[in-house]
Amino acid sequence: MAQNFVQGSIVKLQRIAITGMKRNKPLALSSMKFCNYSSSAQQGSEEAKVAGTVKSVFISQSNDIFTNLALEDWLYRNFDFTNHHILLLWQNSPAVVIGRHQNPWLEANTAVLSEHGIEIARRNSGGGTVYHDRGNLNLTFFTPREHYSRKNNLQLICRALLREWGLKTEISPREDIVSGNYKISGTAAKLGRPNAYHHCTLLVDVDKVKLGHALHKHNKGIKTNATQSIPSPVMNLCDLNSHVKMEKLLASIGWEYLRTDPYSAEDKGEDFIGKQRGFQFINPTDQWFPGLEKLRAEFASWGWRFGKSPKFNVTRTFRVPRELLSKDELTDQELSITIDVNKGVVEDVLLTVPPRLAAAKGFSGQAQVVTSLRGQQFSEEAITMLQKALSELESPEQTRNEFVVHCMRQVVTSI
Amino acid sequence: MTPSSFYHENGGRKFFQNVERMYTNKHEWILIDGKTGTVGISHYAQDALGDVVYAQLPDVGTEVLKKDECGALESVKAASELYCPLSGRVIEKNAAVEETPALINQSCYEKGWLFKIELTNPDELKELMTESEYENFLKTDAH
Repeated sequence: MAQNFVQGSIVKLQRIAITGMKRNKPLALSSMKFCNYSSSAQQGSEEAKVAGTVKSVFISQSNDIFTNLALEDWLYRNFDFTNHHILLLWQNSPAVVIGRHQNPWLEANTAVLSEHGIEIARRNSGGGTVYHDRGNLNLTFFTPREHYSRKNNLQLICRALLREWGLKTEISPREDIVSGNYKISGTAAKLGRPNAYHHCTLLVDVDKVKLGHALHKHNKGIKTNATQSIPSPVMNLCDLNSHVKMEKLLASIGWEYLRTDPYSAEDKGEDFIGKQRGFQFINPTDQWFPGLEKLRAEFASWGWRFGKSPKFNVTRTFRVPRELLSKDELTDQELSITIDVNKGVVEDVLLTVPPRLAAAKGFSGQAQVVTSLRGQQFSEEAITMLQKALSELESPEQTRNEFVVHCMRQVVTSI
Repeated sequence: MTPSSFYHENGGRKFFQNVERMYTNKHEWILIDGKTGTVGISHYAQDALGDVVYAQLPDVGTEVLKKDECGALESVKAASELYCPLSGRVIEKNAAVEETPALINQSCYEKGWLFKIELTNPDELKELMTESEYENFLKTDAH
């Protein structure tokens, strides 16, 4: 499936190049060859050093979020961008991607996502949570740290949209690309030395219903100093102009990138393109990118995606059913549960049990709850273990234990 | 390049006593006291970052090598890497900064210190810049 896209796109890009869209002169495309990108192999040609900085557009052939994040990270760590800037274009199968310092439980309904086969991933850059599917285009602009400029990159995208479809878009103060009050692109960045990247999304034809469900936030009782997303209403490019299609967008933005001066960010015209390296399809495998598999495994690991969350606690309260209360108690009673989580693991549990629930015999399971859960990953599985531990207790008050377990499960699964 | 520091040999153990901060070309500073170094970022760096909204600091016990990536500071949707100025083992991180990252902007040399390491290779200090060398470095294009 990816192969067909690639083959189709190569043919389309060649055709676009030859017909030159609105241009009169046919343009030569760089040869579509795969290269081994290990750092020793890329010395940069003599002509590049003489001419100055050249640019390439890389198009990833993978639709796997973890592979693409790994590819992005690999380029950031290994490539020398001094004389060679790169724009990486990539698309993913449905996934929710959280920022580096965010909490996945706070930003998305993790249980629902896994039911629908939507991956959850954490990226290396800052910023908020986004939803990806094949209708979303990701762009990563790689440069040395000194030449990092989000504004230039976003203006380039706006120019491409204007040039190709006459679409008028603006850059908001928060550096999102907007059309009126609707966001069509979100931005984030990673700054290191010597390399840096700015990446952004571009909503072309994303399933907005699924996006809304995946990113749905409700009051979850979570307290944390993790960075939090600022929700915005979104719009697809195809809503603004029905002629906008993903493949044409890839080409259009790619050409705009190649004709833009890497330093002054001016449009240098079509002739400038001939001096660049052109488009290249990238096959992200360990063979071409040694060490890629290891990076992918890290991005896909529970420890990175969930364990990396800044510490938080979650508090929920539950009304105790009347049947569990003593007969003479008239007022409503509540059970309160607070779970402290650090590195994705339960550090402590605090149960505030109303006196009537405790009753004369006491709530025998209290200590058991705490000891069963401490050190466990904050997950459904931990609650199942707790349930088993409580059911093995000699207790005539099983319904009370069951109620507590039910509440614990609610805390973990419904956030 | 001579750091303005005193180099002692004391019963076979070498240590530096620094009278001033030393700087890296990545805009971090380190202040040495015996075998302990306190690390932070320079005024230039905190200004370039803008308001810091999150500080991810290395955990106590982590072994770090000079120039390793060892944490990140987030500001305005950008995650900026923190690099270790010298090799060592992390012995303390600044909980106040984790709680209130704005301290880094308000007081990058005092309250906004980031973490402390026990040096494993004090000789590396010679490769760092003095305050005046760092100030000259800032005037060049290279930064």
